[in-house]
Amino acid sequence: MNMSLFLSVENLVFIMATTKRVVVKVIWNMKKRVLVLVAFDVDAMCACKVLQSLFQCDQILYTIVPVVGKEDLERAYLENSEGVKHVIMINCGANFDIVETLQPLENVKFYICDSHRPVDIHNVYNAVQVKLLMKETELSVPEYDLLFRDEESEDESGNDSDSSDRPVPKKKRFDDEAIERRRERRLWEENRNKVLFDYNQFSSFGSSAALLLFELAWKMSKDSNDLLWLAIIGVTDQLLHYKTPREKYIEDVMALQSHVSRHNHRDDVDIISINCLKIMYDDEMNLSLYRHWSLFDSICHSINMACKFKVWTLKGQKRLHEFLAEMGLPLTQCKQKYSSMDSSLKGNIKNIIKEQMPKYGLEDEDVIVPSFFAQYGFRNKLCAMDITLACASILESFENGNTGTDSFLLALDVLDRSNVNAKEKGIEMARKQLQAIIKQVQIFLDMHQVISAGPFLYAFIQEGTPDVKFFAHPQCLMRLARFTLEAHCSVSRNKRSKTLPLVLGAPLDREQGTLLVIGIPPLSLDEERKNFFGKAFEQAASSTNARTLHDKFDTFIMEMKTDDRSKFFDALISLLQ
Amino acid sequence: MLAEKALDLIRELERSVGGSLPPYNEDRVRQVLEEMRVLCEQNQKDVSATVAGESGLFSGVQVRHAALERNKRCLLAYLYNRIEQIKKMRWEFGSVLPTEVKYNLCEQEVQWFGRYNKLLANYMRSIGGCGGLDLTQDMKPPKTLYVEVRCLVDHGEFETQDGNVIVLKKNSQHFLLRSECEHLIRQGILEHIVH
Amino acid sequence: MTLKASENYFDIDDILASNERIPCRVELPIYRLGYLDSSHESEHLLPGTKIEFPYWLGRAVCSKKRHIVGVDLPKQYREGYREILSADATVVDLHKLGPYYYSFGTKLLHFEHVASADIAKSLVKTFQNRFRKIMDSSQNAYNEDTSKLTENLDEAERSLFHSGQLGLHDFQRWETRKTDKLTTSNMVRNHRKRKRNVLNDGQ
Repeated sequence: MNMSLFLSVENLVFIMATTKRVVVKVIWNMKKRVLVLVAFDVDAMCACKVLQSLFQCDQILYTIVPVVGKEDLERAYLENSEGVKHVIMINCGANFDIVETLQPLENVKFYICDSHRPVDIHNVYNAVQVKLLMKETELSVPEYDLLFRDEESEDESGNDSDSSDRPVPKKKRFDDEAIERRRERRLWEENRNKVLFDYNQFSSFGSSAALLLFELAWKMSKDSNDLLWLAIIGVTDQLLHYKTPREKYIEDVMALQSHVSRHNHRDDVDIISINCLKIMYDDEMNLSLYRHWSLFDSICHSINMACKFKVWTLKGQKRLHEFLAEMGLPLTQCKQKYSSMDSSLKGNIKNIIKEQMPKYGLEDEDVIVPSFFAQYGFRNKLCAMDITLACASILESFENGNTGTDSFLLALDVLDRSNVNAKEKGIEMARKQLQAIIKQVQIFLDMHQVISAGPFLYAFIQEGTPDVKFFAHPQCLMRLARFTLEAHCSVSRNKRSKTLPLVLGAPLDREQGTLLVIGIPPLSLDEERKNFFGKAFEQAASSTNARTLHDKFDTFIMEMKTDDRSKFFDALISLLQ
Repeated sequence: MLAEKALDLIRELERSVGGSLPPYNEDRVRQVLEEMRVLCEQNQKDVSATVAGESGLFSGVQVRHAALERNKRCLLAYLYNRIEQIKKMRWEFGSVLPTEVKYNLCEQEVQWFGRYNKLLANYMRSIGGCGGLDLTQDMKPPKTLYVEVRCLVDHGEFETQDGNVIVLKKNSQHFLLRSECEHLIRQGILEHIVH
Repeated sequence: MTLKASENYFDIDDILASNERIPCRVELPIYRLGYLDSSHESEHLLPGTKIEFPYWLGRAVCSKKRHIVGVDLPKQYREGYREILSADATVVDLHKLGPYYYSFGTKLLHFEHVASADIAKSLVKTFQNRFRKIMDSSQNAYNEDTSKLTENLDEAERSLFHSGQLGLHDFQRWETRKTDKLTTSNMVRNHRKRKRNVLNDGQ
């Protein structure tokens, strides 16, 4: 990583990643209050907590406002911008022109720490007001010259176009030159459009914001085990919500692991207080929440295992029973709470599964994920994946009249390690979400509701389905979409299914008649996790005048009027064919 | 039984737990005073009759006198305990009482509160050097200069000492000077977050 | 009225405790106060009438100097009950017998009844026997409903229990480093709660 750090006399800290034109830096201004705008995802929350701790170390005043979407971001900026010179944006703001959108005063500076890609080119090349807090290696931005022309030539071209209105006789001998210039300009513009199209075509995700800010803390020598745990959760969030490919996750885990061993390498473990946080690295079974559930339920609710066994069929259930029997795990043990399982079995499960899995066509990747555990106090080990799920589910739970920002704070409490109650509530809620997801997947499959439209698959959740409220939120909808796609591919006879992306719609607001629509890339392109639906949705919407709202920071998720569904989809089909 | 009404006043106070103050029961106080007036008159009558030579009235006088004393004790305790509560309110609510609370005070109590306020303010101005010393601040020994807070209600704009304006909107989080926001925390507008 | 140093003139509990009833027997006629005895309709309280006076009244009319009425022991301080208490004090519902069992009992000693010495002993013994259980439960009931634990406690014991709980909670807060946290003051919180309840009821 090309980050270097200077501590200047005026108490300013610059983080610089130097490219030819981009100088990415954060100014640590000690005197002014900083406004932090945070998106609604677990990674952003972790990053925000890391940042908070850094600010608190240096007694920098801040105001943190969570923002749901672009509109919310504009409103939050307007409300809180008075007297603010520095705005930090976490997991939001990168993929649209921030200066254009917010129309800030000239002395306001924006620092964008956002994992959304591609970064809007105006944000990249506005070195004065917008600073990007990103790894330089992840920004493959087209050259400046391909996108912008110097003022001088702009002026000239302005004169050129004016010349038709004002037929002032120019010196004739420049005519050829002018024509040549115009031709060149046209070529340049064509090329620019092509470059821009290629650049913006796919949306993807870069490194986790939490990880980046943790590394910043590390460079400032202010990292701690607690911050490290937050970075781990942030990275895990990217895995669980299919933001980054597995390879990238492994890469991040390796980086984190070195930090973990740096922070947790005491020989005399017994001497540290039991209340200290200890983090361990280990291979973890890719089973959702099994430590807080029964092994059997967990297998049935985890995407990989569930789809491999097709647990929603009778045959699948039988095969699963067979599998467990062959491993020597009595069903009664598997169906009771994991925590009260026979401890002689418990310790061995991972190894037994590993032994048996080739027989059932399971691969290492399906079952094992390298992950981290936290331990403190006399409680059970906590797995990063479980905490991430718990946090994400609380973030999207809107019980008894809670507003979005209420949930945001409640989810922050889940990350607070001393708050055991919040954690338990979160795990409970995560279980409910998983149950709702598998139920919905089963409905899709039983009713054959996943339909091929040619270039993509689509499915819609019927209005009035139970648990429909769970899916009116992006992260949960994302997981449902992925589960649906994997489950569909596992049962579909059509070989092509794996190469098809999926569009999934869920009713959002009955009174307003709106849908939340998500598009996810095909399984065959899982190595890349590039999503072209953002641009596709935009184009389909603008060509049909469908009433859509592209307010989310994730461009592949949007809202639309239920009535406009069919014309929008016709356009989308013809666009993608 | 004698002095029952006065005891009702005391019971009223006993029932009001958690720092709430029941409305000043003017009717009941007047009834108690009336009972005392009657008892006193009868005693005076009996005493003059005794002076005039009648005998055996002494025991009655004793009983009524005890009742008078009892009534007096209850009335004074009623007033005293209310005042104590009102005094506490100055430290918990601040110098301005919520209207619902103020509504439960009698006029004299409101006056008393105002005077107490003034006394306290004068005293706080007179100590701790030229700027005075706010005794209602730092009720707990401060450990940090700045604190992390969450906003619990839509409070609106808040001007800090350095002239900045912060919008305190529900569920926003801030890092502020402890001395500036301690009152807001005690008044339930902000929540202090410690890890 | 005479007050001992331990008694506070304005103390609400003390006022309530001194309102407990004592069975009395009128020994000198008390004229024109017959209405105090609702079971008879005579104008005067005549010698021999049995009547229950609150303690504060009994104390005023029955002392060494004046003996207008004779005072008997309330039944919960008589020998029968004292025996029950000496058998196993911990199971007795003192709240039902009181609720100011100790403080009223102490006040009774002023009458210098023949059984005074025994009552005093019994009170101390009872308290001693019950104290261990009260302290134990107040120090170990963390985050649970304590109404069951306090339902048969005398008022003094309850306040003891609550002090114990307060100590326990303070200690826990200190141990988990929560004492630094600035909190909304109690009065404000209760005020809010009441206001919210009122609003909800109104809907």
